[in-house]
Amino acid sequence: MTRMASIQKAVVVGGWRTPFVKAGTDYADLDVLDLAKVATAETLARTETAARDVDEVVYGNVSRPVAYHNIAREIVLALGLPTNIYAASVGMACASACVAITTAADHIAVGTATSALAGGAESLSNIPITYTPKLARALVRASQAKTLPQKAASFADVRLSDLAPVAPGIRETSTGLTMGQSAESMASINAIPREAQDQWALRSHENAARGWADGRLAQEVTPLYRNGKSVTKDGHIRGDTTIEKLGLLRPVFDRAHGTITAGNASPLTDGAATVLLMSEERARSEGRTGLVAIRSYAYAAVDPADQLLIAPAYAIPLALERAGLSLSDISLIEMHEAFAAQVLSTFHVLEKNGAGRIDEDIVNVMGGSIALGHPFGATGARLVITLANEMRRRGVQFGLASACAAGGNGAAIVLELLP
Amino acid sequence: MTSTQDVTARITPPAIDIASIKAAGARFEDGDIARIVIDRPTDNVNAIDPPLIAALANAIDDARAARPRGLIIVSAKPDQFVAGADLSMLSAWPSAMEISQASRQIQRIFNDLAALPFPTVAAINGSALGGGYELALACDWRIAADAPSVRIGLPEISLGLLPAAGGTQRLPRLIGLPRALDQILNARRSNARRALRAGLVDEVVHPAALERAAMDRAGRREKRKVQGGTSLVDRAATWLTPLRAYALRTARAGVVKETKGHYPAPLKALEAITVGLQQGMDAGLEAEARLFGELATSEVSRNLIALFLLGLAQRRAAFEGLPRGAAPNDIAVVGAGLMGSGIAQAASIGGATVRLRDVDTGAVAKGLDTVRKLTTDASRKRVIERREAARVISRVTGTTDYSGFRRADLVIEAVFEDLAVKRNVIKELEDIVREDTVIATNTSALPIADIARNAMHPERIVGMHFFSPVHRMPLVEVVQPEKADPKALAMVVAEAQAMGKTAIVVRDTPGFYTTRVLGFMLAEAMLLLEEGARIEDVDKAMVAFGWPIGPLALTDEVGLVVARHVGETVAAARGIKSGPSAVQRLTDAGMQGKRGGRGFYRYDGKKRTPNADVYALIGMAPGAVWHDEETARRLTLLFVNEAARCLDEGVLRSAAEGDLGAVLGVGFPPFLGGPFRWADTEGVVMRDDLRRLAARFGERYTPSASLMQGRRFYA
Repeated sequence: MTRMASIQKAVVVGGWRTPFVKAGTDYADLDVLDLAKVATAETLARTETAARDVDEVVYGNVSRPVAYHNIAREIVLALGLPTNIYAASVGMACASACVAITTAADHIAVGTATSALAGGAESLSNIPITYTPKLARALVRASQAKTLPQKAASFADVRLSDLAPVAPGIRETSTGLTMGQSAESMASINAIPREAQDQWALRSHENAARGWADGRLAQEVTPLYRNGKSVTKDGHIRGDTTIEKLGLLRPVFDRAHGTITAGNASPLTDGAATVLLMSEERARSEGRTGLVAIRSYAYAAVDPADQLLIAPAYAIPLALERAGLSLSDISLIEMHEAFAAQVLSTFHVLEKNGAGRIDEDIVNVMGGSIALGHPFGATGARLVITLANEMRRRGVQFGLASACAAGGNGAAIVLELLP
Repeated sequence: MTSTQDVTARITPPAIDIASIKAAGARFEDGDIARIVIDRPTDNVNAIDPPLIAALANAIDDARAARPRGLIIVSAKPDQFVAGADLSMLSAWPSAMEISQASRQIQRIFNDLAALPFPTVAAINGSALGGGYELALACDWRIAADAPSVRIGLPEISLGLLPAAGGTQRLPRLIGLPRALDQILNARRSNARRALRAGLVDEVVHPAALERAAMDRAGRREKRKVQGGTSLVDRAATWLTPLRAYALRTARAGVVKETKGHYPAPLKALEAITVGLQQGMDAGLEAEARLFGELATSEVSRNLIALFLLGLAQRRAAFEGLPRGAAPNDIAVVGAGLMGSGIAQAASIGGATVRLRDVDTGAVAKGLDTVRKLTTDASRKRVIERREAARVISRVTGTTDYSGFRRADLVIEAVFEDLAVKRNVIKELEDIVREDTVIATNTSALPIADIARNAMHPERIVGMHFFSPVHRMPLVEVVQPEKADPKALAMVVAEAQAMGKTAIVVRDTPGFYTTRVLGFMLAEAMLLLEEGARIEDVDKAMVAFGWPIGPLALTDEVGLVVARHVGETVAAARGIKSGPSAVQRLTDAGMQGKRGGRGFYRYDGKKRTPNADVYALIGMAPGAVWHDEETARRLTLLFVNEAARCLDEGVLRSAAEGDLGAVLGVGFPPFLGGPFRWADTEGVVMRDDLRRLAARFGERYTPSASLMQGRRFYA
């Protein structure tokens, strides 16, 4: 038994994801667990890892299914992983998989695990639709009532309007604004023009199309086999889009003065991504190569009423400080693109705060969430997988992944390619 | 023996063991529940044998005298209730009369149990099959534990017997005639949930709550009056004469169609049921006992029981001369065709993580879909529990490269039956897999040594001959090349068993065992055509003899190209030279068998008609009448003779593996017990027939050395 607090370096051994597709399309009838199983089983197979060699599973998921409460545990039981291991689901909205990865890395660091599967999955095709609180409470009361009249009485104060189903919240509870409205205000505050946003979106699609064309993205994606057919590619990338086409789209959130369109925002997406982490010691003893260490990480948060998605601009300097690095040491960046306006705002605030100027050429070199899609729970793991793979390919020493999240949260992870 | 050493403090208030209250000279108080504990202390199986019967009789007498509020019957063995009659008992009693007598004695004791004036409950904690379930049937109520070890039913028919401890009488009265016929005639063995649905048990509870639940029921319920099922339809079919007659007639017609007169047991069971419902329980029991005696002394039953026991013993015997192997955790399969995906599914059911590889995503998608369909079908038929089915599907992943193969302990190659293709796969695998990975090659005839010829490590390459369709066929023929590492063989045998298959181990010679004997028989069937037989006459004769499908129809199923290839392999190895065979002429004419729609038959949709073109191709007009009896016997004798040669040559390790392989792999009629048991039964008659056939048709009929010497294959 390893003593706790024996600080170990956690390394990314490898990671794979499903193709990301628009919600309501190819994966419409798949449960989020089905997606998680594919990404996780594939990561085990591709890293040539036996199920019995996994110490724990930490998994992110935002729109939680009602049939079970801990997707990580479901993964363990479905894939024949050891039934006695730690398995926890974590949530930080769009940065959930970042939390999964850094949590697992912490466990490896203190020695409670030497190998861990971490990642996340999302099925926005299958969001749980619920009842109004009034109707839900009435149903609970009725289920507890003993007699038929009592059961009937439980529904006494339910109104017709309470019978309408309720979808999961998309507004910030503290501000009442939707994500898009918040991004619109960020664009205004930081003076990000529509053209710059469309330009960033175009770049995202072009880079993603190039990533598929030259085979780099194929290396992180496993086909998803279903009913005798296979889905092999991300479904949302528009390699043939142009700045003109993007310019024709109408603003969605502020029809009169807005700048944010379906073209420069990330789409609702289904998908899953899983990475295998190990202690460096174990990975080396198993003869594994191409190791990428979690060098440092940081989370930051801001008042949602301010700039909802700006927290990465605070998390990034903190993570760099913890890594003993500065922005100029970073040769590759994967940044979650909730909106082009949010990415550009982050650059702006980083520079304004003196953290340094971001070299756009090293950001999202195979596209970002606008083109690839954004399955909430999975995106954090996708960032780490893409970043680690490209760091290996380019042989760069330091890379940075960051994601913003609802509620004003932000995550940043610094990776280091080990010799 | 019923025993008293069982703890009584386990439950509160405790049930009181009959024997202990008798020993203490005490009496049951009002509301006390008595308990009979079934335990054969010297055996780890609770099988019904004379001492157990005697002890049970005493316990029932004591219970009657003690007059408790109710009685429960429990087993002291973990995970088993009462397994059924000790089969060795049957051979101990040589005559039908003695066997009937023993049956009557058990019936009387169960009648006594049923007649106890207080409610009785059987607490079924494990297997309750045959006599074990009949004991439970003699109670008023039955409760089963929700445990995987629970198997309930009256499967005597599968051994050529009938339920003879009241089963044919009590089951129709309990669940109604239609359901009872389904249970008994199909020899069903149900898990707890299915047993509940079928009405075989009244309640299913958690294993830990079983005894408590049984006591509650014995304490709260009254004696039960059975009504012949719960639904009006079931009751009507049980008690109303015209409806009952209809149900019995339909069942009889089904049985006749299914058994073709080779298996007497279902008809006798029907007879006992009929007598019981028409003339009353006593007459029914008497019929049951009498017919049981007849069946138990019949050749068919002895053969079926022998096969059953061989199958049980084979789990151990398969490892003869090998180290004890463990089934691997990680398996990879190359080739996602029907065979490969069937193997992948079987491996996943066996508990392994499976990586299935084919060349492109389309083939992989199809293969994984086959795995899914096979598994959901099995779950729909409740062979696999629904949630386990989901796990079985999840454990199989697909790939178009060899990723995931380095973690595999065993790789099973199931690509096209072509030496060059298979050699290439072996070469690719050897570059990828670990040093200690075992490679099994699935082939029906290609010599393993040839496939492994250029391998770096031929010692880890063994044969694993699966039969199609994999999910239905219960045999795996493990092929042992001369260089094979015994550890590799042991792993493959263990995996075959984990898949739920019977494994036999044979030597790596052309056609191994099953393909060789079958190939000889198929070739001979084609020769019959050249002698002037009609296609349909040959097949009909063989089916009437007891084969599941005629040899020519089977050749079409297998595919003519494969059949031709196999035929040539086997014939060349035996040094047999002959002119072009029928199958050669057919394939030269472009026929493929069922797949291409033309072979010995023409296939139009679901319709199959003999293909008249065949006669022209082989230059023979079909003659007049062909003698069925002679045809089938001649072909089957050739099969047996070749099997005996396999044993003489050491291709087979034992007659037992020969019998299991023939019956489970290639459909040799089970009622004959297998080629070797049949040879034992026929003795000199078979030898002389073979000699006559040899004189007329050639050397291939010359009795093998062992048959010539009149060797008995079983002691």
